[in-house]
Amino acid sequence: MDAMSADTPRLRPPRHRVDKRAVWWWTTRSLAVAAVLTAIPVVPAVIWEPPRFWLLLAAAVVGGFGLLITVVMPLWRYRVHRWEVTDTAVYTSSGWLWQEWRVAPMSRIQTVDTARGPLQRAFGLSSVTVTTASAAGPIEIAGLDHALATQVADQLTDTTQATPGDAT
Amino acid sequence: MSSPDEHRPEAGENTPAGPADARGGQEETASPEGGASPSTADWQRLHPFSVWASTVVAGVFLLPSAIVGTVVLVVAGQSLWALAPVPGALAFLAFMTYLDMLRLRATRYRVTAERMEMRSGIVAKAYRSIPRERVRSVDVAAPLYARIFGLCSVTVGTGEKVGPGSDQLQLLYVTAEQGEWLRRDLLYRGTPTAAGPSGAPGDAADGEPGAGGDEETELARLDRRWFAYAPATTATLGVGLGAITGLLGLNAQTGGTGWDWISEQTGLPSIAEMSSFVVARFLLVVPLTLLGLLVSGVIVLTAVAVETWWDYRLTREADGTVRLRRGLLTSVSLSVEGRRLNGVTLHEPFVLRRTGGADVRAVATGLAAADDKKTNAKSRLSPAMPRQRARELAADLMRTPDSPLDVPLAAHPRAALRRRFTRATVVTVLGAVLAGALAWLQTMISAAWWKVVHEAEREFIPVPLATSTVEAAPSWGWAVLAVLISAVAFWYAVGSYRGLGHGLHPRYLVVRQGMAVRDTVTLERSAVIGWRITHSPFQRRLGLADVAATTAAGQGMYAANDVGLGQGLAWAGEAVPELLEPFLVRGDGHGGDEPSHG
Repeated sequence: MDAMSADTPRLRPPRHRVDKRAVWWWTTRSLAVAAVLTAIPVVPAVIWEPPRFWLLLAAAVVGGFGLLITVVMPLWRYRVHRWEVTDTAVYTSSGWLWQEWRVAPMSRIQTVDTARGPLQRAFGLSSVTVTTASAAGPIEIAGLDHALATQVADQLTDTTQATPGDAT
Repeated sequence: MSSPDEHRPEAGENTPAGPADARGGQEETASPEGGASPSTADWQRLHPFSVWASTVVAGVFLLPSAIVGTVVLVVAGQSLWALAPVPGALAFLAFMTYLDMLRLRATRYRVTAERMEMRSGIVAKAYRSIPRERVRSVDVAAPLYARIFGLCSVTVGTGEKVGPGSDQLQLLYVTAEQGEWLRRDLLYRGTPTAAGPSGAPGDAADGEPGAGGDEETELARLDRRWFAYAPATTATLGVGLGAITGLLGLNAQTGGTGWDWISEQTGLPSIAEMSSFVVARFLLVVPLTLLGLLVSGVIVLTAVAVETWWDYRLTREADGTVRLRRGLLTSVSLSVEGRRLNGVTLHEPFVLRRTGGADVRAVATGLAAADDKKTNAKSRLSPAMPRQRARELAADLMRTPDSPLDVPLAAHPRAALRRRFTRATVVTVLGAVLAGALAWLQTMISAAWWKVVHEAEREFIPVPLATSTVEAAPSWGWAVLAVLISAVAFWYAVGSYRGLGHGLHPRYLVVRQGMAVRDTVTLERSAVIGWRITHSPFQRRLGLADVAATTAAGQGMYAANDVGLGQGLAWAGEAVPELLEPFLVRGDGHGGDEPSHG
């Protein structure tokens, strides 16, 4: 590891956390995926006698792993996922095991969208997606309170329109 | 405006109210004549010969096969059926030609002072429009069959999507003069002219966009000695293998009778004789086979390079547009607006690097094709050439007195080397397991089994060597194999660590990486449109991260991989100061503001 001299910069975390309800959203999502994956070996185990033990063992392993992720991941994500919108840029951090920080300047933003899947809607949440001209993919702030997400999107749209240039 | 051409009204009248407002990809059901009447004369058609060009191409492939089919049927005694292939092929050709004619009649395009517009489609009508200032590149290609008719295709690249899955607009085909005129006019950034392409091409060339062409400076021109670099790829053996397996496959399709027939006629040995010969003189035949593969690979790759890069010229025109011309059978002319050439890539695949060669690629907006592979192929600005020449060319392209490629690059932390060593260790373990498994198999399989395996192999492979090699290999051979795999893995790890580097030039940022293919990328700092910093659990433990600049140009993202987190942030912060700086903290303030990645 390189020596942490006084001049070595660090990233400060973005100012705002996402909504606390996002923890429940992630938990539900993870549980649903884990349940489906566990059910895949269970169904043939019910019908088919000879390999029942091995199938159930596989189901137990998958289910245990899924439960572990469901317990660990949402809280970990909640600690990492943050966002911030300044006058000049959008700044986000996301992920849990694999983490990512993204910065995009206002002058290069092409589109701003809000989206909410059925599960997010159940928790009153929304995602804000910010696209730039890069092929690196959009910046997403997932798990914001719906009203707040709309407000952020409006603010971003206003600021972007006020900034000249063709965003490439 | 004092244009002699009556087809183009003045700039102000050029945008009809309706269609011009419709943005890219939008369906337009109104007929072309439905637009504002003064501009209808403006719409150009594709050249009528383009139909015949397509017909000729299809005919060249279809008719010989139809004739062969007829002959085969006559020989087989099916004389009634023999009447079918040729008329069938002709009818099919006529039908295709008719469809193509409909397409031709439905397609119209025009270039006004503000935008390029195109209407197309027989059933589903499409109207596409690109603002002129969004035109980033113009690609004029003339395949052999189009060149016979004096035609060329024109592909206009933009920085944004104009239709489903593409950011390009293509005209198939227009005359060569029209193609040249479009190329100059669309990328010309001076005052818009009213010169028309169709009336008098000579006059158009004297117009304002044409004036730029006279002052072009040459950046590079083909040196035939460069073709010597063409076979310097790891693919050479593979291509040779491909050529030879192609022939063998052809033989297999005839059920093996092809070669039997040839060997009977000419007294050459049969497949069985050859394979027993090969197995008997193993040490002689293997090097000869490799040599044979090498020679055929060299021939194929050199031929491809000659076809691709014949007549290669790279020029910069007075308005800054960079123009690439190349091609023997398909002549290609690609123009990239100078402002959109945001950097270059010095591309050095392993074998080419060892022979002292490199090629130069563009990092530009508007060159993106359907996928990454096509994008890469399209952004090549030079054939493989001596490295020094490639570096000079890169510096010329970037218009900097001190080349960004000469900037000393900072090495990445030793932890990055440790990471690569970890990977090499994993490969070593896997190699040892593989070698152990093969050694175990060798001792387990009895002679009777070997016979079955050999016969199975003989069924599939014309020159059955693989299983005999396994059977004949001495037991210490497997240990050698394991050591060899390990040595290569660690050598690769060191090379890949040495390849890592990042640096800053007053106008450009520079990143380098890769062992199998080493790419040194320069990207204009002003073209950076964001940062993406990622780290995996493994990197986090070692204090490493991938720091990537996102951009609209080229691949969209260029990363300094496995850089020290602090080192990478300092680099990114300095490269585009106003962007990342607000989010960086310095000093040893270990307050509650610590990033939340425990």
